[in-house]
Amino acid sequence: MLPIREFPGRAGLSALVVPPSSSTEFYLDQLKAGVLVLQHCGNCGRRRYPIAPVCPYCGGSSFDWAPCAGTGVVVSWVRYPRSYLREFESLVPYVVLCVELSEGPRMFGRLADRDVEPRIGMKVQTIIERWADGGHAPAFVCFVEDA
Amino acid sequence: MDARFSSSVVIAGVGALDFTRGVLDASIATIANSSVALALEDCGLQRSQLDGLIVHIGSPRGLDYDEFATLLAIKTRFSSQTWAHGRFCGTVIQHAAMALDHGLADYVLCVATFLNSRFDRHGTTGFPGFAENLREGGGPHAETLYAGLAAPIGGTAMATQRYLNKYGIEREKLGAVAIAQRRSALLNPAAVMKKPMTMADYTASPFIVEPLRRFDCSISTDASVAVILTRADRAKDLKKPPVYLRSYQGIAAGPNEFVFGQRGLGINQAEEYDYRPAGAAESVFQIAGVTPDDVDTLHCYDGFTPHVLWTLERFGFVGVGEAADWAQNGRIELGGELPVNTSGGHLSEGHSNGWGHTVEIVRQLRGEAGPRQIGDCQLALWATTFGDAILYGKERN
Repeated sequence: MLPIREFPGRAGLSALVVPPSSSTEFYLDQLKAGVLVLQHCGNCGRRRYPIAPVCPYCGGSSFDWAPCAGTGVVVSWVRYPRSYLREFESLVPYVVLCVELSEGPRMFGRLADRDVEPRIGMKVQTIIERWADGGHAPAFVCFVEDA
Repeated sequence: MDARFSSSVVIAGVGALDFTRGVLDASIATIANSSVALALEDCGLQRSQLDGLIVHIGSPRGLDYDEFATLLAIKTRFSSQTWAHGRFCGTVIQHAAMALDHGLADYVLCVATFLNSRFDRHGTTGFPGFAENLREGGGPHAETLYAGLAAPIGGTAMATQRYLNKYGIEREKLGAVAIAQRRSALLNPAAVMKKPMTMADYTASPFIVEPLRRFDCSISTDASVAVILTRADRAKDLKKPPVYLRSYQGIAAGPNEFVFGQRGLGINQAEEYDYRPAGAAESVFQIAGVTPDDVDTLHCYDGFTPHVLWTLERFGFVGVGEAADWAQNGRIELGGELPVNTSGGHLSEGHSNGWGHTVEIVRQLRGEAGPRQIGDCQLALWATTFGDAILYGKERN
């Protein structure tokens, strides 16, 4: 299970995401339970993101869901000195990462550590943030090796 | 010339209002009609001769095609409209050309009239395009709102950070693009930006989304541009010399295209690899039988300064990762080796979603660009970091 933390900004994830559908139900249920799952192609075996009916690598349409370790590496990052979204206003300046997960796909997510200077190549760990309206979304923290 | 393609289409005339913010107080139809009237005057055509219409940006920033035709008294037998994004300027012109080549219309009016100042800042909930951020798979520029990755700048900033790192480019070298285009804008009375920009001004401008500064960003404006196209066989009836569409190629899309980033950077799901652009092998050059060296002026989509660098590299004007160095010391300015976006472009003339560039191309090829005129301008290329291009010429293929 991945760590679940409270989203420190303002309430209201539902206004910032696509309404749930039967195509995203399993992914969202798993997030709520602390698990990040990706589609796993039944043809070529690669993992993919975002959720799509067809594999971008082989065109296959059969898949199952597979949990991720949550570990990844920073491919790129940006910093917002001021926010475009009221949900993030109290968090500025905040950093958004593009992370390549150990399983291959890349995801965008906020760097939840406030005191860490991001850098390309930095190892990170996925966490799941619970928003005040009950929604869940992934974010990242610096990876700390188990002692 | 490549036998696959032989367009006989020309731009007959253009009309544009000055780029401003919050000054235009009339209805969108009234504002649009002003640029249409200028375009008709420019070609010496009557409104009743227009029988095709393509609207780029519809309601609420602009008017949709049906009400546009009704309120402006244009009777069409071919009508179309594209979504509210700048990347479709070239597409609109290409669709007009195809409609003309296939006889669906004889005179196609392409219009982009949009008022941004009446809405909140682009990227915020008060902006009419905001709902697009909630598309399946992410917003049109990779907006991912739960992550705080908001506004069109976010995706470009993400790609820029990776690009600078991958090729070892000093960040402040982006400033050469902003400064070059500001210098041109100062010679363009229609441009919204009127103040000179020095390197010190550039480096003093704050980060909007690091690593991009305020002066790396285009200027949101109110704009109205009309472009009328016809076939070359009708060009003899026009008031002014026609501008030929010599070749064109469409927008690339798919899992490996990150719209506001270069190929191969590994942003979002686009593959990370050693990118080797097609350059001179791009079909826009092959079809017309020319090379990048033959192009007298490049006009490219410049929502943010790195887009100019990526376009220079994608279309083979310079090697990949080399455009930032190449663009220094006035090389892309008026009087330089390859003048780029000589109207000031989105960065300094005002964000017109490519339409101001199209007007500027016509003026350069006609020799009407005044103090910005490039001597003996024969070939002008419109191109974008997302892959579409149109080669315009004084002569036909």
